Amino acid sequence: MISHLKRFTILTRKETEIIDITPSVLETVAASGVWSGTVFVLSLHTTTGFYVNEGLPDLERDMADFLARLVPEDHPYRHARFLHSDGQMAINAPSHLRGTMLGFQAFFPVEEGKLVRGGRQTMYLAELDGPQERTYVVQVTGEARGGEA
Amino acid sequence: MIDFHTHPVMIKELVEADPDFGRAVREVFGLLFPPQPLEILRREMDAAGIERAVILALDLSTAHGCRVPDNETVARLAESEPRLIGFASVDPNLPDAAERLDGAVRRLGLRGLKLDPSLQRFDPGDRSRAYPLYRLAGELGIPVLLHAGMSWAPPGVSRLSRPVLLEEALSDHPGTNFVLAHFGWPWTDEALMLALKHRNLYLDTSVVYARTPAETLRKVVAEHIGLPVLEGSLPDRILFGSNYPRQDMRRAARGIASLGFSPGLLEAITRGNAARLLGLETEARP
Repeated sequence: MISHLKRFTILTRKETEIIDITPSVLETVAASGVWSGTVFVLSLHTTTGFYVNEGLPDLERDMADFLARLVPEDHPYRHARFLHSDGQMAINAPSHLRGTMLGFQAFFPVEEGKLVRGGRQTMYLAELDGPQERTYVVQVTGEARGGEA
Repeated sequence: MIDFHTHPVMIKELVEADPDFGRAVREVFGLLFPPQPLEILRREMDAAGIERAVILALDLSTAHGCRVPDNETVARLAESEPRLIGFASVDPNLPDAAERLDGAVRRLGLRGLKLDPSLQRFDPGDRSRAYPLYRLAGELGIPVLLHAGMSWAPPGVSRLSRPVLLEEALSDHPGTNFVLAHFGWPWTDEALMLALKHRNLYLDTSVVYARTPAETLRKVVAEHIGLPVLEGSLPDRILFGSNYPRQDMRRAARGIASLGFSPGLLEAITRGNAARLLGLETEARP
């Protein structure tokens, strides 16, 4: 079995930013040598999100606005205190909760060396507490063509 | 906006280049989260609407054997990024502190003096250690920014940063501009009392104690002090500060904007007062 893992590190620009990471996932699958298997995408952060939707700028803005309405900034969250394990104020409860709404990971099948997805499906990393340096992982596992490892 | 209170300590390039610096940031300054690339500081400023930021050196040579960071590092950062305004720090416990300050301003081009009595372990009213620095700062035309109030740093001794300890120094150095950080919380009344009396004293808004900046500032500034007091008595001597990275700039900026200051006072607090104090009004914008 092949296991091909690649880390991508990006610098985000905005507090909330919707980033199309589809090309990096497709490239990783293509480079993996996996003919039949799965691809797993994981954000390594708790104030980001990962989701799949149609790749349109208006929908990206709608998603950002929707998250802000769903989890308002000014609610009296418990997570608004000094965090001794970090040495800083933990005042980003909305970012954590918005991330939880989206989730942090996704699976896709790989068939005949290609990632299987709907024609309108775009993969997004959502920055929810930026700007920050962010890392996500793409792991492709499966068998090579003809079942060879 | 101008952020008058930031610490360039969790910058990845600095931490990775010097393990001792990284250790000092963790153990002395008490910041334990992952550092971020310098570019993220620029982007954080953009996201917060902050045009320029004061970055502070901190010389803890005798008390803790470290500088977080040193004057040379701050000068390099300020030179490479014109949006950053570097403040020097010298250790008042060192016999050549005044010479070091003179060099940091004249040779390195730093534009203020940062002192932290809690971490540097000195009495801000000490006539032999602190007064020569206050006098020189006045001669050099730079402000003196002192930590005031609670020290979140693990070895910090908060009582050394009681605002009232500065009272005589304010009277004795009328030609020197002082800034007390963090509104002096929890001794906000002392800080306010001194600022009402002494026209050479400014207060910065970088209060960090509990809750979000919006909630903290509402309680400490709007409810405890009262906006009319600032509007009437101190409109020219309040400076916006975030205390980044102990608190993020974005939420600090939103917090100060949420208080309901008049537009004129909000502009003064977030830009005008700092620009005047630092002599930026005649400079071309970076």
